[in-house]
Amino acid sequence: MRIFSVILVLSFFVTAGIAWVSKDVNNKIIGTPIPFIVPKGWPKPVYDFKNNPLTQEGFALGRKLFYDTRLSKDGSLSCGSCHQQFAAFATYDHNLSHGINNAQTTRNAPSLANLAWVKDFMADGGINHLDLQPLAPITAPNEMGESIDNVLKKLKADTAYKRLFSKAFGDATITTQRTMKALSQFMLLMVSSNSKYDKVMRGEASFILPEQLGYDIFKKKCASCHSEPLFTDFSYRNIGMPVDTFLNDYGRMRITRNTLDSLKFRVPSLRNVAYTAPYGHDGRFFALMNVFEHYRSKAVNSATTDSIFKNKLALSNFEIGQLTAFLYTLSDTTFLKDKRFAEPGTENSIPSFIHLH
Amino acid sequence: MKIGLIIWFSCLLTSTFAQQTITIQFRNTIGNKVLQLGESYENSLGEDLVINRCKYYVSNIHLVDGSGKSVSASNDYYLIDEADSMSKTIVITTSVKQVAVIEFLLGVDSIKNVSGVQAGALDPMNGMFWTWNSGYIMAKIEGVSSVAKVPGNLFSQHVGGFRNGENAARRIRLELSNFKFQISNFIIIEADINKWFESVHNIKIAEHPICHSPGSLAMQIADNYATMFKIVSVN
Ligand code: HEC
Ligand code: HEC
Repeated sequence: MRIFSVILVLSFFVTAGIAWVSKDVNNKIIGTPIPFIVPKGWPKPVYDFKNNPLTQEGFALGRKLFYDTRLSKDGSLSCGSCHQQFAAFATYDHNLSHGINNAQTTRNAPSLANLAWVKDFMADGGINHLDLQPLAPITAPNEMGESIDNVLKKLKADTAYKRLFSKAFGDATITTQRTMKALSQFMLLMVSSNSKYDKVMRGEASFILPEQLGYDIFKKKCASCHSEPLFTDFSYRNIGMPVDTFLNDYGRMRITRNTLDSLKFRVPSLRNVAYTAPYGHDGRFFALMNVFEHYRSKAVNSATTDSIFKNKLALSNFEIGQLTAFLYTLSDTTFLKDKRFAEPGTENSIPSFIHLH
Repeated sequence: MKIGLIIWFSCLLTSTFAQQTITIQFRNTIGNKVLQLGESYENSLGEDLVINRCKYYVSNIHLVDGSGKSVSASNDYYLIDEADSMSKTIVITTSVKQVAVIEFLLGVDSIKNVSGVQAGALDPMNGMFWTWNSGYIMAKIEGVSSVAKVPGNLFSQHVGGFRNGENAARRIRLELSNFKFQISNFIIIEADINKWFESVHNIKIAEHPICHSPGSLAMQIADNYATMFKIVSVN
């Protein structure tokens, strides 16, 4: 009996020891970690990096995936087709983007930047995690039109991917989860925080007079929704855009089924706004001037229209000029030209402005 | 003293490691007929139907012993898929000796609905995930019915939703006490698909051929599937 108990106790410690060692192996970060730097004065990111630690290898894999047209059914589109770097990762010059088979998206492709601070994605906030976001365009029939299953099959057939997954995750298993996490790693590092505005805030530059006047007006008339430093408070608002009768897009209501949310859309960030035209959830505003014109003379009053726009927003031509000058200080050319985010192999060429029609 | 400690410790170990395995098998039926995909049936509302897909999640399995103590028996998520006979058998290990009640969640808890991309049974690849409105489909039935006035007469009821007031996951509680605590190593649970359509609410395929979002219809079907399960054999 005594020997038996001793054996039991010993075996307990051995098992515990093995469990401890193997736990250690599971927690080991594979690859070279990349620190995520939160710009000074910015809030804490909402993305939980503990579940997806950033590494050089994960980022490189995510970058290849982002620009891989095999993610679409007919091999014609990558994420990068609709999210173009020279347009701050929006679709250049398109109100709606092209999907496969001449289909069109139902919304304007937004700029992708500072996604680590976003909790709910899309203009209606329907997607609740960055790791889940790519599944929507991949499987939507009017976007990439592919099944997750098939995407994984195509990736598994490619030895280059086996190598990249191995480097990023420790072994060559290719799964939905790993694919999504790698894409997130790439997108999380797309931080835009080096515009003239940021430099002014850091005391490294100063506004010229129209920019400063524009900033003052902005803080009075716009910042309640487009709040600094991300230039959105992520709330859902109806700014009085009448519904497009072809798209019948009621925004947030589609997700909550609450009529109080009818025609409310997530406040978009205005960073790099000079590069992301057209504007609005369906891209109906072709230039900033159209947005201003909407705010001051076209906003329609309905039950859910934001109180700020009930009587439209008073904006003089003078104010519009100053506001525009200020909005242009939100352009971050470091970000727009950052080679880390370019399509692999094209880093040294001038960004091509050729796009699909 | 030393010996006493060792004995006490080993007793502790043996009692915690005295695990038994329990096999739970799910069997889908329509009334008293065992469900076969692709076969024609009439549901209890008198509507004809052929079922091509029938899948649901089972998770958070708890076992309650004779004294009423509830013990978690598995942290896993199981996707019961009529098309995959392997998926219909769940094996759990537990220290509970006499099982009085089996409890499980039909569906996926809200935490897993907001924690990003998952693997295994919860892999979005399994077709039980809404990509445009993040969240799991807790249960789905797809098939053909002449009363479904939609293209190809293809009805499709995907039931999900995890937000407050729209949570379609249902806690199922099944008593084994009728079986007088027989050795409960193999338990068969039947799910009567008739109840999906007719139970707390009447869900006519003619009126509701499509359910593709959370909301009141999904909640009604969920109330129905909460009543769908019963234990039919224990040995
Ligand atoms: C066919 C064009 C198209 C393709 C291809 C595409 N997207 Fe998008 N993307 C959009 C549109 C349009 C939206 C806005 C959708 C909405 O608001 O409903 C969007 C939204 C997003 C968002 C949310 C941004 C935010 O602020 O809420 C992310 C992130 C994103 N896409 C990443 C990707 C990734 C990763 C891929 C590749 C797997 C991809 N997209 C492929 C058009 C596209
Ligand atoms: C009540 C909140 C609110 C206020 C105040 C507000 N906006 Fe907006 N803004 C929004 C919302 C919401 C949208 C998105 C509307 C849509 O797409 O349907 C938007 C869209 C925009 C866009 C288009 C961006 C894009 O990428 O599509 C610009 C530019 C803009 N606002 C500038 C301003 C300026 C400048 C001011 C101040 C004069 C201002 N906004 C005041 C809520 C607001």
